[in-house]
Amino acid sequence: MTEAMIATILSGLVLGSLYAMMASGLSVVWTTLGVFNFAHGALMTLGAYVAWTISEYLGLGLAAGMVAGTLAAALAGIVIERLLVRPFYTNRNMLLITVMTTLAAMIIIEKGTQVIWGPRLKQLPRIADGELFIFGSAISVHEALIVLIAPVTLIALWAFTARTLTGRSLRAAGQNQTAAALIGIHVPHAYGLAYALSAGLAGFTGVLLGSIRFLTPTLGSEPLVKAMTVVILGGLGSLGATAGAAFVIGFLEAFLVLTVGLYWTPSLLFLTMIVVLIFRPNGLFGGRS
Amino acid sequence: MTMLLEADNITAGYGAVTVLRNLSLHLSDNESIGLFGPNGHGKTTLLMTISGLVRPSSGSIRYDGVDITLNRASDIGAAGLAHSPQGNTLFGEMGVAEILELSAFTRRAKVQRKTQMERVYSLFPRLAERQKQLARTLSGGERQMLSIGCALMCAPRLLMLDEPTLGLSPKLKEELGIAVADIAKSGTPLVVVEQDVQFLLSLTDRLYMIEHGEVVREIDRTDAPDHAEIMKLYFGGDSDD
Repeated sequence: MTEAMIATILSGLVLGSLYAMMASGLSVVWTTLGVFNFAHGALMTLGAYVAWTISEYLGLGLAAGMVAGTLAAALAGIVIERLLVRPFYTNRNMLLITVMTTLAAMIIIEKGTQVIWGPRLKQLPRIADGELFIFGSAISVHEALIVLIAPVTLIALWAFTARTLTGRSLRAAGQNQTAAALIGIHVPHAYGLAYALSAGLAGFTGVLLGSIRFLTPTLGSEPLVKAMTVVILGGLGSLGATAGAAFVIGFLEAFLVLTVGLYWTPSLLFLTMIVVLIFRPNGLFGGRS
Repeated sequence: MTMLLEADNITAGYGAVTVLRNLSLHLSDNESIGLFGPNGHGKTTLLMTISGLVRPSSGSIRYDGVDITLNRASDIGAAGLAHSPQGNTLFGEMGVAEILELSAFTRRAKVQRKTQMERVYSLFPRLAERQKQLARTLSGGERQMLSIGCALMCAPRLLMLDEPTLGLSPKLKEELGIAVADIAKSGTPLVVVEQDVQFLLSLTDRLYMIEHGEVVREIDRTDAPDHAEIMKLYFGGDSDD
């Protein structure tokens, strides 16, 4: 194997891991509330900036920043659900309305971060310094850790939704509101919790991303588009499908950057998604017709 | 004899459409009642209003001595008023055992999870055979069993069943009938909605006939009408005699 191929595989692994973490959060809100949260990327940005304030500005260290960034995003998620999604639960055009209201949230958060933190580029420190060499290709220890953190996070998320009563209640509320209420599940609480969980995950991912890229108010917008591509490509359903699709997109992106270059890669990724959906309308891993 | 459920002068509907008109009924804690009458005359809406899924525009509902008229559906369910809705598809992407476990969600239900689970499986052996199967792949009869099973997992103090045998074959209907009778015998008060009056008479102590969102007739099991009279009730004629 050539060095370029190994570098591509490593890059695909890192991208896939990040996308899996972003997309799984998006997927939690989709499967529970049946809405797409367009503010998901902005919540990543918010998490990264809050982490920067705690870690760098106040000098409390990256670990504290990570916790703060995750919590801040989760809190913002609760506020978004409460103010911009919950009023429209019973509206027949809920899906369309919440596209607009969560887009509004995205813009408010983006502009808000610009006002609060200013336009100067910032960066978060890495979890650990140094590089690893795998078959002659270099990968930073930070990125290697992302590759490890992603599956652990996904398994934890899966275990929560599949094995715990609270997690199951989120899925139940997503599949049948009425039946969920009848067995004593307070559906609005379940929705709020799903939003908080998803947003917290976005914030955490934002912190990890903020050590690789510079912090800008639009840090999360390009990843949001990728995450949506992943969720749709995977088939809008299970976490496993979403994770699988995330790595498909990650590897494909790394391969396309190597072969056709950065310029055409986003277009080709979309084209791939469209072609896949033509032949598999329920996504790569969506079994149901 | 204390009242377990009292509905007083309930008026309810959907938007501008009024379905229930000043409807009243009651149930004491040692009896079961049946509701029958033509389709589309408010039986399902009545159950949904009692369990908090539909808000009444006037009237009051008391359960176990407490006014629950404006309570949330989840709180009413948590208080042990279980409702197995009509044609319930439940949670399609979850397995049978998972759904049953989850249905013992509230604090009072959790305590009884194990015993209720055994009870559900012994009432419906088919569910025990299909523990891992996804709910959406179940047959109509199995779904109905699962729906009743879920309501039982809620450890009900009062169980409302909305047409438990709707659309089932005579054989399955009999199977479900035996299970429901078993539940009634165990001492759980029932509110059963059904078209089949004979079936209701075999299960419950009193019947309410509901027409145009009102109780038009109350029937005690001891002076039950015969078949011809029931036909008259359904299809008109001298129903006021």
